[in-house]
Amino acid sequence: MADIASDMSLSAARPVRFHRISVLGWPVYAWFIALVLVPNLLLIGTSFLRTSNGFIVFDPSFASYMRLWKSASFQFLLGKTLATSFGAAALGCLIAYPMAYYAARVVQKNRSVLVLLVIIPLWISLLMRVFAWRMILGQNGILNSALVGSGLLDQPSEAFLYTGFSVLLTYTYISIPFCFIAIFTALEKIPHALIEASQDSGASAWQTFRHVVWPLSRPSVAIGFSLAFLMTVGDYVTPSMVGGIDGTMIGMVIASQFGIANNWPYGAAIAVCLMVSVGLILALVLWAGQTRGVLTGDEGARPPVASHRLTSGQRLLRAGGRVLFALPYLFLYAPLAIMVLMSFNDSSVQAFPLSGATLRWYAELAGNQPMLAAVRRSLMVGFAVVLVSGVAATGFAFALHYGRVRRARFFEFALAIPVAIPGVVLGIVMVLATQLAQIPSGVGRIVIGQASFVMPVMLMIILARLRRLDGALLEASMDSGANHWQSFVHVLFPSIRGAIIGGALLGFTLSADDVMVTLFLAGTSPTLPIWVWNQMRFGFTPSVNAIFTLVGVGSLLAILVCNRLIFHAQARGRGGEA
Amino acid sequence: MAKTSQAILTLAGIDKTYDGAARPALDRISFTVAPGEFFSILGPSGSGKTTLLRMIAGFERPDVGRVLMDGADITDVPPFRRDVRTVFQSYALFPHMSVLENVAYPLRMAGARKAERLAKARDCLALVSMGDFAARLPHQLSGGQRQRVALARAIVCRPRVLLLDEPLGALDLRLRQQMQHMLVSLQRELGIAFVYVTHDQGEALSMSDRVAVMSEGRIAQLGTPREIYFDPASEFVAQFVGRSNLLPIEAAPHEGSLTALLGGRALKGVAVPRSGPARMAIRFECVRLAEAGHPPGEACAIEGVVEDVLFLGNALEVNVRCGDHNIIAAVPTLGGEGYLPGRPVRVMFDPGQATVFHG
Repeated sequence: MADIASDMSLSAARPVRFHRISVLGWPVYAWFIALVLVPNLLLIGTSFLRTSNGFIVFDPSFASYMRLWKSASFQFLLGKTLATSFGAAALGCLIAYPMAYYAARVVQKNRSVLVLLVIIPLWISLLMRVFAWRMILGQNGILNSALVGSGLLDQPSEAFLYTGFSVLLTYTYISIPFCFIAIFTALEKIPHALIEASQDSGASAWQTFRHVVWPLSRPSVAIGFSLAFLMTVGDYVTPSMVGGIDGTMIGMVIASQFGIANNWPYGAAIAVCLMVSVGLILALVLWAGQTRGVLTGDEGARPPVASHRLTSGQRLLRAGGRVLFALPYLFLYAPLAIMVLMSFNDSSVQAFPLSGATLRWYAELAGNQPMLAAVRRSLMVGFAVVLVSGVAATGFAFALHYGRVRRARFFEFALAIPVAIPGVVLGIVMVLATQLAQIPSGVGRIVIGQASFVMPVMLMIILARLRRLDGALLEASMDSGANHWQSFVHVLFPSIRGAIIGGALLGFTLSADDVMVTLFLAGTSPTLPIWVWNQMRFGFTPSVNAIFTLVGVGSLLAILVCNRLIFHAQARGRGGEA
Repeated sequence: MAKTSQAILTLAGIDKTYDGAARPALDRISFTVAPGEFFSILGPSGSGKTTLLRMIAGFERPDVGRVLMDGADITDVPPFRRDVRTVFQSYALFPHMSVLENVAYPLRMAGARKAERLAKARDCLALVSMGDFAARLPHQLSGGQRQRVALARAIVCRPRVLLLDEPLGALDLRLRQQMQHMLVSLQRELGIAFVYVTHDQGEALSMSDRVAVMSEGRIAQLGTPREIYFDPASEFVAQFVGRSNLLPIEAAPHEGSLTALLGGRALKGVAVPRSGPARMAIRFECVRLAEAGHPPGEACAIEGVVEDVLFLGNALEVNVRCGDHNIIAAVPTLGGEGYLPGRPVRVMFDPGQATVFHG
């Protein structure tokens, strides 16, 4: 729609339109230039500089790229990183597909609860989840204690933690929810009539899956795969926590070039290589996943009515299906459960058997001034990020949707670029940008850095809602005598309020949880995850479990509130339509 | 009615109640369909007609009763092993397959070789005059074109029974009329038995050999279109099929015989089965209008005043106020110019064309 409107503006009513475009479109262009274009150009520019005695020399050269070209270890590391993330995303899809199929097309009741249960781990701190795996896999970890305790091993094995395998396992764990959401959405959308039409044409269940269900869900599998791949490929937190030497990934190398090694041009060059290879792989995956045609029947999945009596064989099959369906949930929740359990365990050794219940780890937190300061900072940053992103995203969504921006399709895509940049790369990109603008490290930098990826997420949510709105709403409002501003206040804003609030809560969680970008920007004023991250590097105490349990409970509450608000808004919306 | 031995499809005593539903979706449904017959199931939404169709296709199972095809029990046979094809209400064309691939899909599932199935699919597309659209994707077609592709996909295997679930529901009037002609000639040509579900009485009456009118899960009447139209078995059928005046009458002895009384006035010659309050149905087009005081002859006559007139093109619907009641007459437009609101008229109808229902 936006396209048509902007095309029309060129031919018919150019002067008027142009005036409007220049006013409302400006912030969109400004945001794009300041937070997307310039930072990324800086990264590319930096990669062509070189260093001398620890200082950047403004002398264009291919030195960094030449070094990379000759470095076999870099090429090996890049290959290993891509392969590990690729493998994890593939495994994630493999596990998530049957789950999503079961949830979308077999289960009849409480479907939304089952979906929420998969999404919740996604919204609970990444650090917490990775840390939980470290507790399970470590030498004093739960897996080893259990194996030694049961007599399967004589002594704790070192094979589980600090290997490539432990990174793959954790990446897979991170991937599953992303794959699940994408695949579930696609499977749920397939009209039931198509499945029946296939059966009616004489296709068996397997043929129906192969010729109808799979082709229709393939594009979303590619999207879920891409999301998961992006999440893990720029991750330097997971490998440095569970990877050890064998599990080193390229993200850690980039991070160290901007930290200890202090060779920004070299780090930037690696980042550019990573970005280019990730882009190529994702383009390939999305190309392979595409399917012709457009789903037009929008009636959605009518739940199959299974009221006839089942034979005992069918009952057995169904019970088996349920058990298989429950297994991935166990995989998703076991680490979290163990972490909560350990936060109440009265021992500084984190292993089974438990020594007894205590609240002392929680009590320790209450007196921890630096940590409390970090919590306050996290909240402040979160609110600031959500405020900035929320206002920008709402304005941009309207500007894009109602054709006030030229080339709206391009800008919608361009503004989302930071989301598609691997975490570590986005971190250094924002360092370069804020350095250029001479913004000191600390809260200001963090807010700008986080807003760069929170805003696009909120924008996508609000735009999606706007596009589902009846196009005649605005016209009906203006027809009733309301001007643009009154229409916005009384009609449009109320209809997208749910999306804004949902987006804001999601944005807050993203902000409060972020390590990858924030670590580069925080300097001496850490947010909570950064503070915890610093603590862990100096060895950890069980009080970390207690923090994470509190954070987890906090996120859960936020999700529940958010869900309530969204469902409430939906219920009202439906009531209004009926 | 066709005998069971010749029937291609037999439904015997079908009951179905959905979980949590208060009343049954289908209640003791039995009928047979003869080979090559055009059989319609007509009813308002919620009357159970789609459930019935899904049961024949195999997507639902009856709680009680059997479905037989050619005398063989297919109640427990899954949909993909039944020699029955469905044209879905939403068309259910596979969005990722071209028109040709969609039509060839049933042949592919049956294991036909590629060259053979593509040739057959092309023939079938030509049959529904969609030959030029073989390479298109479903979303590039209009509603009427999708409808014809869905039809082609359903008949490409030459099933012996074709089920059609309100196939013309989403089309505009002109297209609907064109498609009706196409469906009838196609059915003659192929000799496939059609089971056609619709809520549009015009479609049911114009195309069918026989019609089953459904109401609240039961068959209210089963018969030829003429029987349904001119001899409705119940008040429901009279009201649902065609357009009828429904007048409250009192059946009482009058001048020695049992007579229908409308507002105390006797309607001579209207057959009433027993005494007591009843309702009399008379179709709009069976009501004639004449000048006030026109000699009635054998017909029943009631005096009234024209209240309003609707212009329908080929006919006028004249709403006449007769005492406490309104009677609508459909009269040809030519010659009906004089009926203006306020004009006194005489309403007349043949007593033989009125049907009386008790209770």
